[in-house]
Amino acid sequence: MPLEREVYKELESVVGPEHITEEPATLFSYAYQWMAELVPDVSGGGKFFDRPEAVLVPGGVEEVQAIVRLCNRYGLKFHVYSTGWGPWAAPPSGGQILLDLRRMNRILEIDEQNMFAVVEPYVVAAQLQAEAMKRGLNVHISGAGAGTSVLANACCFQGGGPDCIYFDSPQNSILSIEWVMPTGDILRTGSLGSGLGWFCAEGPGPSTQGIIRGALGGSGGWGVVTKIAIRLVHWPGPPVMPIEGTVPAYRTKLPADQFRATFPAFPSWQSFADAIYHIYDSEIGYIAHRQYVMWGDELQAAFLKIVSDPDRQLCDLEELLHMPEIQKLTDEMRRCFQLILVGMTPRDLEYQLKVLDRILEQTGGWNVALVNEPAMQQYVLLYMMRLCFKNLNFTATGGFIDTYNSVASPDIWASGEIEAGKKLLKKYAGRIADAGDQAMGPIAGQGGGGVTGWEDFLFYDPHDPDSVQAAIEVSDEGDRLKAQQGRPPGGMLLGLARTTHTEEKVRAQKLVHAREYQWQRKLKQIFDPNGIGSGNYLWAAEPSTNGEST
Amino acid sequence: MGLEDFKAMVHRCSRCSYCKWIPFAHVKSWRFAKGCPSIEYHSFQSYSASGRLCISLALLEERISCFDEGLPDIVFKCMLDGCCDVACKVCRYDLEPLEVMRNLRFRLIDNGCFPIQDIPLIDNLRKEDNMMMARKADRANWAAGLSLKDLTTEKADVVLHVGCRLSFDEELWRIPQTAVTLLLDAGVDVGILGRDENCCGGRLYDMGYRGEFLKYAENNIDAWRNAGATTVVTTCSDCYHAFKRLYPEELHAPMNVLHITEFLEQLIAKGKIAFKKSLPLKITYHDPCHLGRRGEPYIPWEGRQKKIRGQILVYEPRKPRNNGACGVYDAPRNVLRSIPGIQLFEMERNREFAWCCGAGAGVRERYPEFSFWTAGERIEEAYATGAEALVSACPHCERNFLDALDQRGDSLKVFDVLDLVREAR
Ligand code: SF4
Ligand code: SF4
Repeated sequence: MPLEREVYKELESVVGPEHITEEPATLFSYAYQWMAELVPDVSGGGKFFDRPEAVLVPGGVEEVQAIVRLCNRYGLKFHVYSTGWGPWAAPPSGGQILLDLRRMNRILEIDEQNMFAVVEPYVVAAQLQAEAMKRGLNVHISGAGAGTSVLANACCFQGGGPDCIYFDSPQNSILSIEWVMPTGDILRTGSLGSGLGWFCAEGPGPSTQGIIRGALGGSGGWGVVTKIAIRLVHWPGPPVMPIEGTVPAYRTKLPADQFRATFPAFPSWQSFADAIYHIYDSEIGYIAHRQYVMWGDELQAAFLKIVSDPDRQLCDLEELLHMPEIQKLTDEMRRCFQLILVGMTPRDLEYQLKVLDRILEQTGGWNVALVNEPAMQQYVLLYMMRLCFKNLNFTATGGFIDTYNSVASPDIWASGEIEAGKKLLKKYAGRIADAGDQAMGPIAGQGGGGVTGWEDFLFYDPHDPDSVQAAIEVSDEGDRLKAQQGRPPGGMLLGLARTTHTEEKVRAQKLVHAREYQWQRKLKQIFDPNGIGSGNYLWAAEPSTNGEST
Repeated sequence: MGLEDFKAMVHRCSRCSYCKWIPFAHVKSWRFAKGCPSIEYHSFQSYSASGRLCISLALLEERISCFDEGLPDIVFKCMLDGCCDVACKVCRYDLEPLEVMRNLRFRLIDNGCFPIQDIPLIDNLRKEDNMMMARKADRANWAAGLSLKDLTTEKADVVLHVGCRLSFDEELWRIPQTAVTLLLDAGVDVGILGRDENCCGGRLYDMGYRGEFLKYAENNIDAWRNAGATTVVTTCSDCYHAFKRLYPEELHAPMNVLHITEFLEQLIAKGKIAFKKSLPLKITYHDPCHLGRRGEPYIPWEGRQKKIRGQILVYEPRKPRNNGACGVYDAPRNVLRSIPGIQLFEMERNREFAWCCGAGAGVRERYPEFSFWTAGERIEEAYATGAEALVSACPHCERNFLDALDQRGDSLKVFDVLDLVREAR
């Protein structure tokens, strides 16, 4: 239903006529999202979720605050996004306005000595990384890649990625925050709250990091985080990453005595898990991720050959798969991951390489020789360091989700879950891509290690209704199998797509047993008393003593 | 192909937004990371390649109509420069965002939904065969006094096509005049069609007027054949793109087509052009989109998309990717580097991911404010290199830079590659 003219006029007076629109074409462009077809209840099996009633592109915190206050006054729900990738970026239901934060795009400060940056929502990781590198620093990049918002990954979504082993998880890297609460009041947290600058998350001002971030981030439904300070780490490389190679197979040539991409591989899942413990204990590694298996253990070697060579295409896949050297490589890489070693000095790298050799010796592992080929070394270093090729997740079929995920201590790799995930995917092979084990994930989900895990990728064709249906079936079956073991659902992405597009009250009933979302209900009552957040902030209905919930 | 044929492609867009940026590998700064002028200027998602893909789908599904107010502006406020296309194809082998956007334009124009600004332009074109609001009779004024073959009556190996901009923009006449001098001095058998030279149609095509384009393309091909020419040389990047890509694609009429910088590169390599003077000048080179990423040769392909391993999408046989890898980037640079004294500094966004000058696909004519803003962004980037001059190889880029500089009260020098070659001889 279109906005009341009076409301539209007031919103327009905040952002100016050029930054608000109700044009149908533009509204549909905000409703289109990856995975929409997997939530047919809402999308009818097509590519569009509900469209917003109007889109506003505010230019700063004052405008955001004014908009949120108007929303409170008129009982108008609002949804907010920064780079806007994923089903949670579309408004969860009709009747809402959408705030696109793309004009709030500045890096406000890079404090070299205290190693942090202050950014607005539309600064993407590639930008901040490029600027940080000029100052000998680097920033965590979420698994979603270089094109996603630093702020949103840290405060509003899950945000983990391949580099957590050294960089730590983004939520642990947030320092002070400026947050326009769902009421329209502005809260400045940590040291910023006391007017002392951005350097500290936890006082001397109030600390509300957990409240702002919640269990999984508010995904655009929990006020508007307008600025954050984020911790940076050391970068011992050149101030500008040197890029070579022909599009699309770009590469970076970093000093070989300080940078090394490796592919540690193992004869068994137990030795794979053991090696992870050794890596945690020895504190080596800058980036550690099981990355390329997203294409499947049966295809990853061939895929890697294709994407790193400007003259190759996907039509070369079958030919490559028949080549004996690729078959050998496929076997060698079956249980491998990508480990990027970065020495703060050449001696440091030398030490880390020796440690890796020792770990491989102890576990019977090997470093897959492919990665030592100069062009491949340079390709992998660029891929992992900048995460600039993450849309390769979609290359095979145009669509992917995860299905049979696990997060746990390293022993999980040897628990049989990998094989179980592979078996599940094989059952549907044909309707989805037949690729084998697609368990892609971080070797360490937080700084120094301790927790690891994976997402079992699944490639489906969004244009093919049967493939779409298969993706839904696999995900549901995976969740059932996990439930039988008393484990949480395996498919995060479809789970979130569905959850964020389920009517708020219905969803609250479903989440009734989730303790974290019980807490979030209480927070919602305090921080969003008028219920104008879009609905993406998850909360659970209150369990009642008679077995019903409210 | 029509817009309907792109439905599968549109379903498979991942809405990743790579098309809004230069390839992320190449990001060197906060300032020059952006790739798409359209969304940078207009802010809403619909003003991006992925936004226009969504709009295409919404049109195909009849959720919106061509006649919706404001739709033409959303569709046409875009230079079709193709940076989005390159960035998308860094990861995607199955998407053609530029093709979809082009077909979206055809759909609108075919339905009579054009920006009102087009009316005088198209009226004049139909009468005078040029895009410059000028008289056909004046088309060859730039060549007055040059002893050149008239290919309406004579024959020559090479036809020099200078295009609408250079025919009528007096301030730039020195460019085709220099080209003629260089070619004649090098002993090339060259001529022009003079007053009978027609618009190449390339800009019309990008503006959505495919029918008009076809008319001009057919006329030009006939005229070249009648003149017995085996090679077409052009001083304009828009024309180059039209001849190199569009003519073979739309009319299956392959010609040997060279941009003047390619021809000069050959002549310099053969020692037919030599430099006597040193030009101590710090310059930066702007890749014209239609010579660079969009100037790749057209390679015919017939085949199909099939699925292997269940759902993996592949083309059979191998399909040319047109991802900017084979554009003309080195020829102009090699010419510039061969001039003594010249120091060439690269802008952050160069080659296949260069920022557009703002003039393409009718944006200069239809939306001058947006066009000059885009040029201004490039001028800032040129300044950031420390260069004293911005050099290009396309009169449309050069004119847009000159006008944007004028509007800014700015004095950065703007040259064509040919200007520097002339000065150094
Ligand atoms: S067009 Fe390409 S780059 Fe743009 S959102 Fe779609 S898949 Fe991504
Ligand atoms: S062609 Fe240029 S202006 Fe148009 S969407 Fe692509 S990058 Fe943007």
